[in-house]
Amino acid sequence: MSLVSEAARILLNGLQTGAIYVLLAIGLSIILGTLKFVNFAHGALYLIGLYAGLLISQETTFSGGQLAEFGFGTIGLDWGFLAALLIVPALVFVLGIAMERFVARPFYDRPDTDQILLTFGLAIVAQQVVRVLFSGSSQNFAQPSWAAGPLQLPLIGGFPQWRLWVIGITAVLVLIVYALIEFTDFGLTVRAGTQDTEMVQLLGIDISRPYVVVFGIGAALAGVAGVVGGPLNVVNPTVGTDILVPAFITVVIGGLGSIRGAVLGGLILGITESFLIQWSLVIPSLGIDYGFAPWSQVGIYAIAAVILLVRPQGLLGSEVDVS
Amino acid sequence: MSDESANPTDAPETEADGGKTLGGSASENTVTRLRTRWEGARDREVTVIGLTIVGVAVFPYLFARAPVVSDLLQGYQELASLMLVWGIFAIGFDILLGRTGLLSFGHAALWGTGAYAAGWASANITEFPLLVVLIGVSVTVVLSVVLGFLSLRRGGIYFAILTLAFAQMIYYMASAPLSFITGGDNGFTGVEIGSFLGVFDLGTELPSIAGTLIGTWRYAFIGAFLVFSVAAIHRVLNSPYGIVFRAIRENEQRAQFVGFNVWRYKLAAFVLSGTFAGLAGALFTIHGQYVPLSSLYWQTSGEVVIMTVLGGVGSLLGPLFGAGIYLWVEYIVSGGYPFEWIAPYWLLVLGLVFVSVVVLFPEGVWGLVGDLRRRVATRLEEQ
Amino acid sequence: MALLETQGLTKRFGGLTATDDVNLAVEEGEVVSVIGPNGAGKTTLINQITRLLDPSEGDIVFKGESIVEAEPHEVAQRGVSKSFQTASIFPDLTVEQNAEIAALGAEHGSFRLNFFRHRNQYPGVSEGTRKTLEAVSLWQKRNTPASDLPYGDKRRLEIGIALASEPDLLLMDEPTAGMSPEETNATVSLVETVKEELGLTLVLIEHDMEIVFGISDRIIVLNRGRVIAEGTPEEIQGDPDVQEAYLGGADL
Repeated sequence: MSLVSEAARILLNGLQTGAIYVLLAIGLSIILGTLKFVNFAHGALYLIGLYAGLLISQETTFSGGQLAEFGFGTIGLDWGFLAALLIVPALVFVLGIAMERFVARPFYDRPDTDQILLTFGLAIVAQQVVRVLFSGSSQNFAQPSWAAGPLQLPLIGGFPQWRLWVIGITAVLVLIVYALIEFTDFGLTVRAGTQDTEMVQLLGIDISRPYVVVFGIGAALAGVAGVVGGPLNVVNPTVGTDILVPAFITVVIGGLGSIRGAVLGGLILGITESFLIQWSLVIPSLGIDYGFAPWSQVGIYAIAAVILLVRPQGLLGSEVDVS
Repeated sequence: MSDESANPTDAPETEADGGKTLGGSASENTVTRLRTRWEGARDREVTVIGLTIVGVAVFPYLFARAPVVSDLLQGYQELASLMLVWGIFAIGFDILLGRTGLLSFGHAALWGTGAYAAGWASANITEFPLLVVLIGVSVTVVLSVVLGFLSLRRGGIYFAILTLAFAQMIYYMASAPLSFITGGDNGFTGVEIGSFLGVFDLGTELPSIAGTLIGTWRYAFIGAFLVFSVAAIHRVLNSPYGIVFRAIRENEQRAQFVGFNVWRYKLAAFVLSGTFAGLAGALFTIHGQYVPLSSLYWQTSGEVVIMTVLGGVGSLLGPLFGAGIYLWVEYIVSGGYPFEWIAPYWLLVLGLVFVSVVVLFPEGVWGLVGDLRRRVATRLEEQ
Repeated sequence: MALLETQGLTKRFGGLTATDDVNLAVEEGEVVSVIGPNGAGKTTLINQITRLLDPSEGDIVFKGESIVEAEPHEVAQRGVSKSFQTASIFPDLTVEQNAEIAALGAEHGSFRLNFFRHRNQYPGVSEGTRKTLEAVSLWQKRNTPASDLPYGDKRRLEIGIALASEPDLLLMDEPTAGMSPEETNATVSLVETVKEELGLTLVLIEHDMEIVFGISDRIIVLNRGRVIAEGTPEEIQGDPDVQEAYLGGADL
């Protein structure tokens, strides 16, 4: 394999890994930026999107869990992947709005620590509900039949088709949300709210409604991430909490409240990860052949540490502190 | 409940004021006088240490051997030791969460590092339990300084996220690149703990009555560290640090404007709590003679958060109870008999209880006990 | 030599210049009031002196040394104290603990490694606490949680915290805002007493012109970030620029 084709493969893999981070980070970032609300349950929305997608798109046999005990071991609507891709975001959007109304809103005036504790507790509850219902064992989320198998690309050769779809779907969604925030009146209110909530209120703009929508959109993106990310990995109740940490790192690297920052952060993390997975240091004369795959996860946190030391507000974050 | 951090000389005055609000004529009541003396005494260091010693000494008997009680609780000796180990972790964690108002989601890194450092030291340097603990603590203190320094660069919400992130980085370091030291996914297996002072095998029972009450030397060893920890934290809370921490929690900017270097005090709180996390981690190794990789995973950070909040943030002993309750549910309730009906849901139940504590009873179980005590006292005085 | 001096102090927020080339000097023992219409830059000025905000340009000199690079806590340690416009207290602590924190800050410095030393080893702190609380007439209420105090008492406690940190220069941001006439009178006499007793230098931001003209040795008038007038109360009262700045020259 030539250097160019290897680089292209690393880039594509990185884009795909980063895409999932971006989908999660945008929601986290705008909720944090506008509502100043720290949502440790954001990963739970991913988890719910994932299981909802699984149940809508296919039939799955669960080996344990309370549903199996009650005779519902094999469940699912089997409506196909596209149906899941359309229904899940709507479902999680509604869930996000409910969450804003009943969870976040009563806690806006409480200290950050209380918000984190509450959402952390809810994340555990969500994870445990899924575990109780479907057991903790891992399931397989099938790739949609129309996107299974590899695709022959110039330079690279065979590349899993679904990964390209993930990149494409993410790109479209990011552009839509970006346009919404950047070019509409709704977006203007949201952006103003990111800068200075009090000022917007003084100007007599009702921000509670845009905020609800912001929460809903952020949640829906997390749900989509669950659906498109599902076929990439195994499915079990801990995936939601596992993905939350890199998503937070993405926000920290990119800068709070910035969609472009979230995208940049996600790409940096994704590409770093895929680079370290593929790269080995080979110096035959010294007998060195060291693969850096074990460092792939360490690498993304090391990058976060370096960026934080050099530029504490994140790459595209503003100087204004959130406190 | 914050009595222990109040200036001891204030206690009688505080009580007099309390008596007034409860109705003037009752203030001469015997109960009130007894209470006054009791509350005044409770603040004194010796009393706190004395009560802790008694509690630690009696607990294993009640939990594992006493008739009726131990049958109800289904307790056993080794779980009692484990509760003390996590108890140390939780009361140290509360210096940061309850006193200073900083929520760390990265204490697994400190606990795990203490555990690994102790395990590694026992396999490679010395088998003496005290030295093993000392090495575990020292390594953790150094890491606390680094981790605290990095995580406190940004204020507010960033702290929880950054502690979480850096702790995960350490977890992944241990899981793969450093697996030649840590044993990777298999955990650290070569732990060799010798006998205490070269004489007492930690696994054997204490002689006569002490054996009935306390049980093993291992429990006594861990219990001694718990008493030491309670005494040390009590002292810290009554030093200038105690009141500065509270000032930071309540109004950080004001604390800065009366001249305190808030950043350094936060780092100090982080390192102090990290010291106890490292101590607890080292004792965890001595207790289990094995270090699982999961000790560094962020679920461990989550567990100490739950224990502390459940027991009651901002109280010296609350987190201790939180640790006990959590482990009891994790080890006894989840195990089945006589809890089959709830066993599969144990963590779900804990999660729901945790959420309701956060929403409804921010002072935790210890706070509820305190309320109850006050209510009973009021009732007694009215009679 | 002046106790406090600002030299060309300028602060810009984006396109807005909040303070524009402000030069002022406060002599030891003086009471100086800074007045001006809303948005004139008074609070921004104070916030730069306490180092909450970084000036865009200029220098701040206190006791002959530049403090423009100092951290807020260092400025406090050097003897600048501020009472906030809203009562910035420690709500869950008792009145006594509120004052104790401030006294401790003054007695014991910005940071020390003394976490095993009992607080009762610092007798100066309890002495300072009691003196301060007596000065602001809150000693009787010392065991009340600060959040339970009525509004006027909270504001007095706020001033008490500022005093307990033993300042040489006290910056007061609208100490009587939101107070009833009785509370205002009590606060004014409190300020006058502590000034006499402790030999304080005071810089006051205040809207109530009666107070300003009654208490000040000198008045500085800000408008749109600039100093438009400076002088004794008599001089300011007759200044046409000042009357112009206050909405069409209403009589002061």
